[in-house]
Amino acid sequence: MLDTNSILTTPGLATIKGMKDLADNIKLVQVRFDDPDARKNFSYAPGQFAEVSVFGVGESPFGLASSSERGDIVEFAVNRVGTLTEALFRLDVGDQIGLRGPLGNGFPMDRFKGKNIVILGGGIGGAPLRPIIQTILDHRGDYGKLTILWAARSPDLLVFTDEYDLWQQAPDVEMFLTVDKAPAGWPHEEGLITTLLEKINPSTDNTITITCGPPIMIKFAMMTLEKLGFQPDQNWVTLEAKMKCGIGKCGRCNMGGVYICTEGPVFCFSEVRQFLESFV
Amino acid sequence: MKVISQEQLNLWLADLLKQTVVVAPIEKHGKIQYQEINSISQIVWDFTRPELPPRNWVIPMTEPILFIEQGPTTVLKQPDLPHEKILFGLRPCDSRSFKVLDALFWDKEPADPQYARHRQALTLIGLACPEMWDSCFCTVVGGAPDDTEGLDILLTRIDDGFAVQAITEKGQALVSGLDLLQWSGVPADPSEARGLPKLHESAEWAAVFKDVFWKELSHACLSCRVCSFVCPTCRCYDVRDEVIAICPNGKVYERLRAWDTCTSMGYRRIAGGHNPRETQVKRLKNRFYCKFMYYPEDFGVLGCVGCGRCIDACPAGIDILEVVEKVDLKLAQAQI
Repeated sequence: MLDTNSILTTPGLATIKGMKDLADNIKLVQVRFDDPDARKNFSYAPGQFAEVSVFGVGESPFGLASSSERGDIVEFAVNRVGTLTEALFRLDVGDQIGLRGPLGNGFPMDRFKGKNIVILGGGIGGAPLRPIIQTILDHRGDYGKLTILWAARSPDLLVFTDEYDLWQQAPDVEMFLTVDKAPAGWPHEEGLITTLLEKINPSTDNTITITCGPPIMIKFAMMTLEKLGFQPDQNWVTLEAKMKCGIGKCGRCNMGGVYICTEGPVFCFSEVRQFLESFV
Repeated sequence: MKVISQEQLNLWLADLLKQTVVVAPIEKHGKIQYQEINSISQIVWDFTRPELPPRNWVIPMTEPILFIEQGPTTVLKQPDLPHEKILFGLRPCDSRSFKVLDALFWDKEPADPQYARHRQALTLIGLACPEMWDSCFCTVVGGAPDDTEGLDILLTRIDDGFAVQAITEKGQALVSGLDLLQWSGVPADPSEARGLPKLHESAEWAAVFKDVFWKELSHACLSCRVCSFVCPTCRCYDVRDEVIAICPNGKVYERLRAWDTCTSMGYRRIAGGHNPRETQVKRLKNRFYCKFMYYPEDFGVLGCVGCGRCIDACPAGIDILEVVEKVDLKLAQAQI
């Protein structure tokens, strides 16, 4: 029987509960489904995404920036770069949007248990990595050492700055910040995330890495990781595409025969290298 | 074999037309098109294939897939169920295209609700091709001029009438009331043994992905995208919202789905401007690889039905059959 009301294909209504400034031109949108059943059923893994509707403007995919385990407020980060994100910026608490999902595969957190984890986040690419950090902190004993490398072009583009203290206070967590060009008095690193990565030179032993950022950053991060001795199957990435459907129909996100929306957006780098249309 | 005379067939169709919507090949401005008819006298019986494929009846060029009433609260409404329709006179390549689209839109979970609503409403009656025309190559991709794939009923022209094959239960039910005659003949084999190239298995295509001939081919491409628009199986689409009414309490929008194509320059562009398929050759190649490699690997069926419309329509002379031939040649060379 065909389910024409599935929340995978028809948006569920959700109300904006909060709009937080994350960085320059980047906001964190916090929403909650209007329907109590939808709140209960919308359970998602770190790395999954949703199609967000601004009614009258359209629909675009956003990586979910919250952890499903922490409650029924669903969060995603929005960078003001186009028509839909511009429209989202004009919305406020109490306004209704639509949400379709959860979509995509998400990170296999179970497979990461017992391992040391190195996280590489670039700019707004940090948003879908936040639920991984939250999950690790919420189940701290399940995972090994957590090393977070966080980068942006400039300090005003770093996301989730108000949470860094909390992250670093957790046991066995190290965090490093870098910006492409540092202003005077910047107490952290300067330069690309790859430079920082080489400097920190994390051990490859029982370690996996997770990277999210623009394609160019992923490409060079993978090269650097290889140089440091990481094998392709130790490195995980999450990719982006402007899917219209998010369910493998519209033909907008394939890389070779692989659909980012259904088979991804999370991939092991050993898979990405095999894509016919690989960018690495 | 059961047969029906042209006269009886016309009477049957006239009767069906009273009960339901019938789409059939008609002539319009000198071209053949599948269109809704109001009289069976409009039906054209001798034609090669209609200019445009029948996918308009499952994925209309533009159609609302959701209505949004936004006032103090928001109400979402699904479109009305489409009317039951008979698509009559489908060429077998075109009926096969429904199986291709079904594999992606319906069989692969989750099903696309709007596609399914349209598809459920269709009955497909085919008209076998008497021969293979110049640009036809259905036999290369697993079809045949008298193929029954996707059809409920297939009609094949014989001397003074049509052989009737009911393929599905739906088809059986439809012809059950008809007074069919017994015929002991066999329709002529319309398949042509002209030297058509061999299509390689999907997995073999990977070996020629980086070949230079793609680049040479792409120099001819004008990016006009007409190949996709005349294709029965191309299904890339765009979605956008438009205002349809402004009321004192709010607005009503429709969410429209419209034909689009992976061959357009910005189709693959992502937020921030990065475009993984920024060059002509990458876009052209994606279309051919979708048909012959990605689609079969992802959805279990070839993404091309061999209708040849793109060959006739391309203003730059890009020929999908020559591509298939080139791949065959390149793979043969690689073996030496």
